[in-house]
Amino acid sequence: MSTETIWLVTILGAPMAAALLLFLLHERGVRVAGWIAGLAATLSLAGVFLLLPALRRGDVPALSFQWIPAVNIRMSLHLDWLTFPFLVTEAVVTLLAVVYTWGYHRPDDRTSIFYALLMLFAVGMSGTTLADDMFLFYIFWELMLVASCALIAIWGEGDRRGEVALKYFIFTHLGSLMVLVGLLMLYDTTGSGSFSALRAGVTLAPGLVVTVTTFFIVGFCVKMAIFPLHLWLPDAHAVAPMPVTIMLAAAMLSMGTYGILRFPLSIFSPAQMAPFAVPMMIAGIVSEIYGALMALAEQDIKRIIAYSSVSQMGYILFGLGTLTYDGIAGATLHVIFHAIVKALLFMGVGLVVRATGRRRITELGGLGSAMPLVALCIGTGALAIAGMPPLCIFDSEWMIFAGGFHTAHISLSILTLFGSLLTVAYALWFVGRIFFGTRPEGLTIDRLPWAMVAPTVLLAALSLIEGILPAPLFDWVDQSLNLILGGNW
Amino acid sequence: MTGDVRVTLPLACLAAGAFAVYLLARLWADRNRLLALFTALVFATALGALGPLQFATGVDHLPAWGRFGPGAAFLGADPGALVMAGIALGLGLLVTVYSGRYLALDRRYETYYPLLLLLVTGLVGMVMAKDLFNLYMFCELMSAAAYVLVAFRRHTETAIEAGFKYLVMGSVGTVTILMGISFIYRETGQLALSHLAGAPGPWTRAGTACFLVGLGLKSAIVPLHTWLPDAHGRAPSSISAMLSGIIVQSAFYTLLKTCLGLGFPAHSLGTLLIVLSLFNMTLGNGLALVQTHTKRLLAYSTIAQMGYILLSVGVGLRYDLPAAIQAGFFLILAQAAMKGLAFLCKGVCHFYVDATTIDELRGTAARMPLVAVALSVALVGLAGVPPLAGFTGKWFILTNALRSSGALGYVGLVVFLLNSLLALGYYLPLIGTLFTPPSPPPMGGKEGGERIRISPWMALPIITLGGLVLAIGLYPDPWLGWTAGVGGYLLGLGR
Repeated sequence: MSTETIWLVTILGAPMAAALLLFLLHERGVRVAGWIAGLAATLSLAGVFLLLPALRRGDVPALSFQWIPAVNIRMSLHLDWLTFPFLVTEAVVTLLAVVYTWGYHRPDDRTSIFYALLMLFAVGMSGTTLADDMFLFYIFWELMLVASCALIAIWGEGDRRGEVALKYFIFTHLGSLMVLVGLLMLYDTTGSGSFSALRAGVTLAPGLVVTVTTFFIVGFCVKMAIFPLHLWLPDAHAVAPMPVTIMLAAAMLSMGTYGILRFPLSIFSPAQMAPFAVPMMIAGIVSEIYGALMALAEQDIKRIIAYSSVSQMGYILFGLGTLTYDGIAGATLHVIFHAIVKALLFMGVGLVVRATGRRRITELGGLGSAMPLVALCIGTGALAIAGMPPLCIFDSEWMIFAGGFHTAHISLSILTLFGSLLTVAYALWFVGRIFFGTRPEGLTIDRLPWAMVAPTVLLAALSLIEGILPAPLFDWVDQSLNLILGGNW
Repeated sequence: MTGDVRVTLPLACLAAGAFAVYLLARLWADRNRLLALFTALVFATALGALGPLQFATGVDHLPAWGRFGPGAAFLGADPGALVMAGIALGLGLLVTVYSGRYLALDRRYETYYPLLLLLVTGLVGMVMAKDLFNLYMFCELMSAAAYVLVAFRRHTETAIEAGFKYLVMGSVGTVTILMGISFIYRETGQLALSHLAGAPGPWTRAGTACFLVGLGLKSAIVPLHTWLPDAHGRAPSSISAMLSGIIVQSAFYTLLKTCLGLGFPAHSLGTLLIVLSLFNMTLGNGLALVQTHTKRLLAYSTIAQMGYILLSVGVGLRYDLPAAIQAGFFLILAQAAMKGLAFLCKGVCHFYVDATTIDELRGTAARMPLVAVALSVALVGLAGVPPLAGFTGKWFILTNALRSSGALGYVGLVVFLLNSLLALGYYLPLIGTLFTPPSPPPMGGKEGGERIRISPWMALPIITLGGLVLAIGLYPDPWLGWTAGVGGYLLGLGR
């Protein structure tokens, strides 16, 4: 077994082992649970970066062995350029969410289980991106759902957590089933579940291409929470405990994008995808505008940021729908940048809620002088999401719009551009209402644990640094697109 | 007497064991564990006797015990029979170990263990029977044992009622079968299935229809399912595990074997099964949604799960896909493990905290973590969530339904997918209930919250089945190998 394989296994194995250990320790592990999870997440992240040189050399670290020979299903993992950006995002978000949890979660006798489920959630996400076989892909895809749903059902905020978890599960499972049907259709034609075999070329009847692509796009759009398939998102995000919300919004939503890139876009040719371009762009715009309007209308600060995800996923779908190099590259970059900024915003919201104990925006105000650091972080996040240069989202939005203007549908691109004004509106309104104005009577401010503040500050810094120096990320995304699009675009 | 005597060994073990256990139980009327151990030993021996047959079967070379010449066997170990008998004996073994503690509630060991053995004897004989007389006889043996076991808690009116209802409906079923046999005998003068193959005359067709109705009733095919929720909901949990886990399914296998053997065209039978499966799935899941009693919920979910099996086998028969039939039998295996596990866990809750309704299961996670986790595994598996056994079965069924490339196959596929979504609507809240802290007890009520130690007699079967649910899901290869021959065998009968 080469070093590469060992690190590849570590990416999944470390969190999985940690989860197992925590389940076994249960009540005995309360005091060390956070450290175990943190160590596992660090190892996992280290594994991802240590495999980068191999990728640069042109290798594809992989591991594969026979699993169910009767139906030609293999247990295959591989890390290629398309996986890499998503895996990095997922691993970084997990580590930061775990650190944030150290401060957020008050230890009780179920703490170990909380961390164990967080780790399983992370395994689900990294497994989804690493899998090189449909069967394995779907197992991890659903693990992601099961783990996050359990976290919401057990640790959710408020009395409605059971119902919200049920809604989240059933709604997202509907999308999963569509993805499953799409996968099985492909599997049936190729006779093998391997993604590499798929990329080598699939010949499908034109009618079948449309069916398969529709299943995939609709299925993955449920995960991306595109209007009108977003109904699970605001509730799930608002009810989930904050670290889970961070992982849901920053990492899990991007799995939908990964799916669209991995399946329809890298398997079918641009000509085959062409009929889906305009529907995807329109769905993207509708989602963008709807999400922003709902964010403006919401009172609960967590739900405001949740709706902002619906809006941001709209940008991504629009970028994918342009079917141009710029648009898709922008969408992929947007996934990463959105993860940074959304994690930042949710962490900031978590800090405000922790400090004040309030979530309704009408009961907040004038916090800027009392919590300057938090105000600065949230302000950075809000400006970033509004697309202000030189913060990171500006770069990706620029590319998405550029992609839009390369298509024949200039009117749609102009609509997106103006739709982004609404984003500016809710972002500024959000910051203004919380941090400026007069402070309401009786609003007290508690001390904040460093473990919650540190990742927030780090992310705020990152969103500035990535905005100024996006070159390495551009390079990764460029490599991803070369891989999936080949020379066709 | 020609043929391979080994075929009769499992049956002989079980039948002799039943008498021996009865005698032992009369001698030591209150030694539950001893009796359970002895019964388990009988099951294990029967399993051991079944073992060599697994390797003796090729699809065309069946060890058979014939009296009327080489072709006319009256017992034969065909691939499907081996799968069904293997599952039944395995589940029987685990249920017996479980009863070693569970039965302390009901006592009357001298009736329970022999009846359990006779139930499985009937089942094994029925699936292995190669002529209609034996088939009928063993079917009646199985049913009679089942009626009594359903009404085993004779001090409760509901159990008597459920047993009586089961008796009446089951008898209608067996009488229909008997009538069918008489039709067939009138026309052909033969009872051995191997002599009855070929172009059926009008009486044989009528007889086949009778088999379809009679065995369809026993396999809970809608609209002949009405006895099932009562019977499975009222029987002791260990018996419900057997009834829902394998009895219904083995009746279905017998239906397939006889109908195809009597010349019912595979294509038409497949079409019929797919159409019926739509009702089974939808009705089972729809009614499970509104249940308040855990066991009735599980019973309705059995009806739905039968629908999945009908769909898969129907697709296989209609579109000539052995792999789809194999998937159906894989699902039978997976379901036996999951349903068995669910009922056994439910039984533990009943045993220790007297919980029958779903609400009473609140707080199980705090008091009996093992049971809560195992029951969740079973339910999540039944809902078809990876990586558990139910999902792997679902994957194979969907693959084959897609491969059918026929309109009816696609209709089945869509209904199946919608149903697997619908099923989440009752499985997930049930799991949620397990992990909800109990509501404060009413005034003067006992404070419930202390950890309960579960007897190893109950824990062992639960852990075994839980492991199996995971193993079948994660490593389906050996189990696929085990069910591999069934598809070809059944399709061969229909040709």
